[in-house]
Amino acid sequence: MLKLIVCLKQVPIVTELPWDEQAGTLRRDLASGMMNLACLHALEAALQIKEQYSADILAITMGPPAAEEVLREAIALGADRGIHLCDRIFAGSDTYATSWMLARTIKQECPDYDLILCGSYTSDSETAQVGPQLAEELDLPAAAYIEKLEIHGRTLRVRRLVDNFRETLEMEFPALVTVSLENYKPRYAGLSGLEAAFDTGNIDRLNAADVGINKSAIETDGSRTKVRKVFLRKANKENILLTGTAANVVGDFLSKYESKISWAIGKDIEEDRNDE
Amino acid sequence: MQLNPSMKHELIRKSVRHFAETELAPIAAEIDRDAVFPRSIIDKMRALNYFGLQVPREFGGAALDTISTAIVVEELSRVCAAVGLCVTVHNGVAVYPVLRFGTREQKQQYLSRLANGEMIGAFSLTEANAGSDAGSVETTAVKINDDYVLNGTKIFVTNGGICDLALIFALVDPEGARPANGVFIAESGFPGFVRGEVENLCGMRANPVSSLFLEDCRVPEKNILGKKGDGLKIGLVTLDNGRIGIAAQALGLAQGALEAAVKYAKERHQFKKPISSQQTIQNYLADMFTEVAAARLLLYRACALKDEGVRFGTEAAMAKLYCSKVATGVTSLAVQIHGGYGYSKEYDVERYFRDAKVTEIYEGTSEIQRMVIARAVLSEMRL
Amino acid sequence: MMNSRQKSIWVFGDYRNYFQNRVTLQLISRAVDLSRIISAEVCAVILGHEIDEYIMEYTAHGADRIIAVDDPVLKNYNTELYVTLMEALVKERDPDIVLIGATDFGREFAPRMAKRLKTGLSADCVGLDVEADGLLIQTAPSFGGNMLAEIVTSRHRPQMATIRPGTFKEIPHNYERRSLVEKLPLMKNLPRPRIRLVEYERSVEKEHTIENAAVIVCGGRGMGNKKKFKKLNDLAKLLNGDVGATRPVVYAGWADHDALVGQAGKHIKPKILFSFGISGAIQHTAGLGEADFIIAVNKNPQATMMKMADVAIVGDTSDVLHTLIKELRKRIRD
Repeated sequence: MLKLIVCLKQVPIVTELPWDEQAGTLRRDLASGMMNLACLHALEAALQIKEQYSADILAITMGPPAAEEVLREAIALGADRGIHLCDRIFAGSDTYATSWMLARTIKQECPDYDLILCGSYTSDSETAQVGPQLAEELDLPAAAYIEKLEIHGRTLRVRRLVDNFRETLEMEFPALVTVSLENYKPRYAGLSGLEAAFDTGNIDRLNAADVGINKSAIETDGSRTKVRKVFLRKANKENILLTGTAANVVGDFLSKYESKISWAIGKDIEEDRNDE
Repeated sequence: MQLNPSMKHELIRKSVRHFAETELAPIAAEIDRDAVFPRSIIDKMRALNYFGLQVPREFGGAALDTISTAIVVEELSRVCAAVGLCVTVHNGVAVYPVLRFGTREQKQQYLSRLANGEMIGAFSLTEANAGSDAGSVETTAVKINDDYVLNGTKIFVTNGGICDLALIFALVDPEGARPANGVFIAESGFPGFVRGEVENLCGMRANPVSSLFLEDCRVPEKNILGKKGDGLKIGLVTLDNGRIGIAAQALGLAQGALEAAVKYAKERHQFKKPISSQQTIQNYLADMFTEVAAARLLLYRACALKDEGVRFGTEAAMAKLYCSKVATGVTSLAVQIHGGYGYSKEYDVERYFRDAKVTEIYEGTSEIQRMVIARAVLSEMRL
Repeated sequence: MMNSRQKSIWVFGDYRNYFQNRVTLQLISRAVDLSRIISAEVCAVILGHEIDEYIMEYTAHGADRIIAVDDPVLKNYNTELYVTLMEALVKERDPDIVLIGATDFGREFAPRMAKRLKTGLSADCVGLDVEADGLLIQTAPSFGGNMLAEIVTSRHRPQMATIRPGTFKEIPHNYERRSLVEKLPLMKNLPRPRIRLVEYERSVEKEHTIENAAVIVCGGRGMGNKKKFKKLNDLAKLLNGDVGATRPVVYAGWADHDALVGQAGKHIKPKILFSFGISGAIQHTAGLGEADFIIAVNKNPQATMMKMADVAIVGDTSDVLHTLIKELRKRIRD
C-alpha cells in the first residue's frame, strides 16, 4: 500500500476577489475560496495512482478555518483523510515558513510516506516555491512541473518538459513532485462524495502547539521575506477605438501599428503601396 | 436559528456551479434554440449522483438534505433551467414518491436505477380536464388477471420525451363499487406506453415535454405505488415536495438574471458613464437583489422544515409562489436593463425571461399556491 | 583576495538555451545598475562543463568577476549538485544578493538553494531596486499579473530572487572587457545524486508553447461558431503565433484545453495579443496581465476586453479577421 500525501491550498476565486483600488489592498477576508487549480491536478494524479495501485491519500492544507473546505473537497474526490494546519500565528507565512511548517507536520503525522504531490504553482501568489522547499526540508529527491508519472516497485519515473528539454527522470521513494497543468485533468466531485465528506470525512485540525511550533520557533525558522506593499498594476494604455468598415479599420490599424507587429514577429512589414 | 449557509452547502454550491458553468453554459443557448435534450451531459450528471439527490446511499444515492437539493437545482437553473427542470422533476416528483411510498420490492426494483440515472423519471398527473384538481383524472385502470390495463391521455409531461419511467395517476376500477385514485409505476417499455410529440413551448425548450398516451397499457399489479386508494394522498405529498424544487429552479433563474444584469449595467455606457451609475438602474438592481435574497430565505426555510420532519406544505407553497414571482419579475427587469440587447437571443436574459414564466404555472399555478396558503392562514391564525 | 566587506551581487549563469534565453545577460545588466548604488561588484557564477564560451560572454556583457566550476560531472543541469555547490560557494564568499533567472530550472533550483541557505526568495520578479543600505526591493506579480507585491528579505543574507526573462535589457557586448576569472575545482565528497536522467532530449524545434509565444490570437464565443473560430489559426500561423481560447470556447469543443487562457488555464505574456470576440470575464483576463500590446476586436465597444485594449476595433469579428489576414499576407516580408 503506497502512502501518498497531497498538499493543497485554498486560493481566492478571482471573480469574487474584492480589491480596494484606492487603498491598493486585497480584501482576502471577503473573497470566497476555491481549491487552487494546480493542486487539483496534483490530487488527480494521486487519485489515478490510487486507482492503479493500492494507495492511501492524506491531504494536507494550511490556512484559516475556511480552508477546511479544500480538504472536504479532496475527500469527496477520493482522498482518505485530511490534516488542517490552522493557527493565527501561521498567518502571513512565506514559502520558507510554509514549507517548514508542512515538513514538521508531515514528519510528525505521516513520516512513512512514499510520495508527496504538490501543485506546480498557486494562482494567487504564484511562487511555485513551496514544493521544492518542502523537498529540501525533508531532504527528498524531487522533480517540478511533471506531466506524467509511473511507478515501478519503489521507483518513480516522471516525464516533464523544462526549458525546451524533454526529460525522463527516475528516483526512489520517498520523493516529491509538483504536478503541472498539462495532464491529470481534474474530475468533478460527485454529490454523494461531497455529502459523505462532511458526514464521515476524517479531518484532524492541528494548531501550532500540536506540531511543536511556538513564537520563538517562528522567530528562528519562520518567514524570511516580508511583503511591504501590494498594488494593482497600472494599465498604461491609450485605448484607441477604431470604427468603420473592416477594410478601413484594418488599413488604419496596420498603418499605425505595423512597427509593433514587425517587432513582435521579427519580420518586416511593408506599407502596401498603391501606385497611382 | 442558523441563517448562514454551512460549509457543506457552500461547497456543494461551488461544485455544482463549477459543473454548470463548465458543461452547461457553453451549450445552454444552443439547446434552447434547437430544443435538444443534452444527453451527453446528462450522462456525466448520472455519474455525479444528480439523479439520486435524496436517495439513501444503500441505493446508490447522494443522501443529501433538502437545502442541498435545492442548491443543486438552483445552481443548475442559474445556468440552464431546462436541465434544472429535468433534475428536479426526476428527483422531486418521480423518485421521491417511490422512496416515500414504494414497497421494499419496488424500491429494490427501481430506486437504484433511478438514483444512478439509468432510468429517468416523470410524473404524470395532468390531463385535459385535470391538473391541480387531482380527483378529476379520467385515465382509467382496470384489473385484468395480475395486471392493470391503463387507458387515457396525459399532457404536458416534463421529461415525457425521454423518461424511462412515469408515475401515472389513474382512476382505479372506474366501473367498480369503490372507484379510487391510484398511482402506477409505468416503464416506458411497457406495451401500450406511447409518447406524443414534444411540445413546442415558450421556454424550457431543452426539456422534452410531451403527452403520454396509455393505450391498453399493461402495468403489473405490484407496480401500484402504495395502496390503490392512495392516489390523492401521494399526489398532495409529492406536489408539496415538487414545489420546493420548482421554487429552487425559479430562484436559480432569478439569480442568473440578476448577475447578468449587474454585469451588463457595469459594462454598458450611455452618456459617457456606465448605466449602473443611473439611479433608476440602481433602484432596479437593489430591488432585484433584495427580492432574490428574500426568496432564498423563504425557500431554505421550507427545506429546513422538511428536513426536520415537520409539515412544510404551506411553506413550500409560499416559497413556490414567491420564488416564481421573483423569477418573472427579476428576469423581466434584467431584459429591461439590457435594453434592445436583452430582447435578442444573443444574450442569456432573453432565455431566462422565457424560462421564468412557466414557474408560475407548473406544479400548481400561483393561483393554486395562494389557495393552499389562504387555507393555512385562515385556519392557523386564530385571532 | 576579497576585500572583507566588498559587496557583491551574484548572477547565476543559466546558459542552457543561451541563444533563446538571454536572462542571465539581462540580470548581469540589472546587477550592474544596482551595483553602482551600493558599490558592489557583479559576479557571475557558472557551473558546468566546457563553459569558457560563457565566461567570455558574461564578461563581455558586464560581469566584473566570474566564478566557474568546470567539470564533466556538471555537464547536465542537476538541481541537487548545483544546490550543494552554490551553498558551499555562498557560505565561503557571502554575497549580498543572488539573482537567478526564472527559467523552469531556476524556479526549481532557487527555492531549494534558498532553503538550504536559510534565506528568503521571491519568485518571478518583474522589478528589482536597491536601497542605499543594500536592501533589495523585489517586485513580484500575483493574481496573474494583475497585482504586484513589493517584497524584501530584511534580516537574512543573501537576498535572493528569481527574475522573469525579458524584464531587463542586456548591455551590448564588449569583447574588450576583462573580468577576474576564478576557476575552482569541483568540491570533494559531493553527495551521490538521487535523481537519474533516463532520457534527455532537446525538443527538435524551438519548443513553442503558448506561455512563451510572442504573438497570441485569442478567441471567444463572439467568433460565432467553430468554423469561424478555426480561422484564427490562419492569423496565428501568419504571425508565427499561437491560438488561445476562453473557457466557454474550450468547453464547446472549438479549441483544445491546452489553448485555455485565464485563471483556470495558461498565463500568457505575448508582445502582441489579438483578442477576437472576447467579452473579458475576469476568469480570462486574469491570464493576460503580462500581455504587452493588446488589440481587441468586438462588435460591442463596451466589452471589458475592448476597454483593456491598446487598440479596440469595433466590427464583425470574422470580417475584421478575414481582412486582416488578407492585408498582412500582402505586407509581411520574410
